[in-house]
Amino acid sequence: MRVRALLTAFLLVASAIAADVPKKAAASQAPATNIQLDLNADSVGPHQMEELTRLAITRDYAEAWDALAQALEQNDTALLNRDFIGFARDNFAARIAEQQKAGVRTKTIDHGHKATAVFYSPDGAGIELRDEAQLEIQILDGDTLVSSTKVTRHYVVLLTPTEVRWKVRILQTVAE
Amino acid sequence: MKRLLSALACLALLAGAAAAQSQLQAPKSVTANTELTVSTSGSGDATLYLVGPASFSKRSVKLGEPIRIAPEELHAAGAWLMVVKSGSGTESASFEVLPAEPGKLSFVVRPSRLPVAVHSGISGVAYLLDNYNNLVTAPQDVAFRLSVEDGPTAQQNVKSKDGIAWTQLDSGSKAGAAHLVANVGDISAERVVQQVASAACNLHIAAKPGDAGKILVATDPVRDCTGNAVPDGTVVTFTSTANGAVTTVDAPIKKGVAQAELPARPGAVISAASGVIMGNELRWGAR
Repeated sequence: MRVRALLTAFLLVASAIAADVPKKAAASQAPATNIQLDLNADSVGPHQMEELTRLAITRDYAEAWDALAQALEQNDTALLNRDFIGFARDNFAARIAEQQKAGVRTKTIDHGHKATAVFYSPDGAGIELRDEAQLEIQILDGDTLVSSTKVTRHYVVLLTPTEVRWKVRILQTVAE
Repeated sequence: MKRLLSALACLALLAGAAAAQSQLQAPKSVTANTELTVSTSGSGDATLYLVGPASFSKRSVKLGEPIRIAPEELHAAGAWLMVVKSGSGTESASFEVLPAEPGKLSFVVRPSRLPVAVHSGISGVAYLLDNYNNLVTAPQDVAFRLSVEDGPTAQQNVKSKDGIAWTQLDSGSKAGAAHLVANVGDISAERVVQQVASAACNLHIAAKPGDAGKILVATDPVRDCTGNAVPDGTVVTFTSTANGAVTTVDAPIKKGVAQAELPARPGAVISAASGVIMGNELRWGAR
């Protein structure tokens, strides 16, 4: 009788853990940011993109925007390290250094992104996105608001995989 | 009449607003590393805030005089924002810095080593950059050329899209260092891919008496299907079967051939295999 009770309890615990695993897997793909980012990968090529890869890129790219906004507002280059690499990191770090020198900060209010994956390299080592971003850019001199500008910007983005996440290597606006 | 007056007043307001907006006149776009001049109106001192993708500058300017932005300040391609703040208000303008002509290629080729005659086995991706590390997004003609010494050359011409051109090429039929070159105008980048022999093909063995009670079985020089010598160290498995007794010997290729000693059992069937390739069968001492 006691054995049966123990077995039932074990099965209940095991099924609860099993049910929780997919939820945790899905949660780990969800971006830890409020940035709205819609990524379409229907016509990407030549390498096909798995759904898990698409979710990972959505998460990492959204978090990169969040990190960039914080880095530019706090003038802290260290905030770039998790999400940016190469030219993108160097460019934003240079801008932050100059902002710091001028005693100025820029605040980016993100109103959402519509991104499309346009290229996934045959060896899987590079992904290019096109992204239409709705942004509000505020320039703050000390704590004084100098200007606030709402813009729609189109970006080409190059992401490369690193040990644990996709990092932004190039983030460049393009004229539409 | 009242309506007409209010409509005219609205129009005047709109015209005034438009005039105020146009006081800072910047060109819509400029190529990277080119001087930019922005005209201003009014008079007095003001502060300029210039926000670029990779820079930020704040400096004093005189209203009514043109603002000159030096070429070396305009290296980063993308959207730029300029704001001029004076006692009378704030004006802003935006412009685009376009990438210059391609100045370098970031060329990624995979893999670094592969067997000969693999369909679409080599991939090359060229990222087109100008001298200021901007991605050159305007379409460019890119040529990819794969060549092996004393072998044929394969070429593909591709139009870049959003700064990227890519190709997939078959590996050649001849083992050796293959050179994959990407060209855009005068700019080129080269990577080397080591092409190695593929799996053994037409494995052929012969046997002769060895030391007491043994036979010596050896392959002919082992080659792949396009005639390249299979590298030393590749394992050939020799098997002898006689009266239900099976003897197996794994022997690495040395100096192009593999050999093994097997028990000399009358009527033994001897075979050899390397990977998925089987060689001929011999029957030892069969009557």
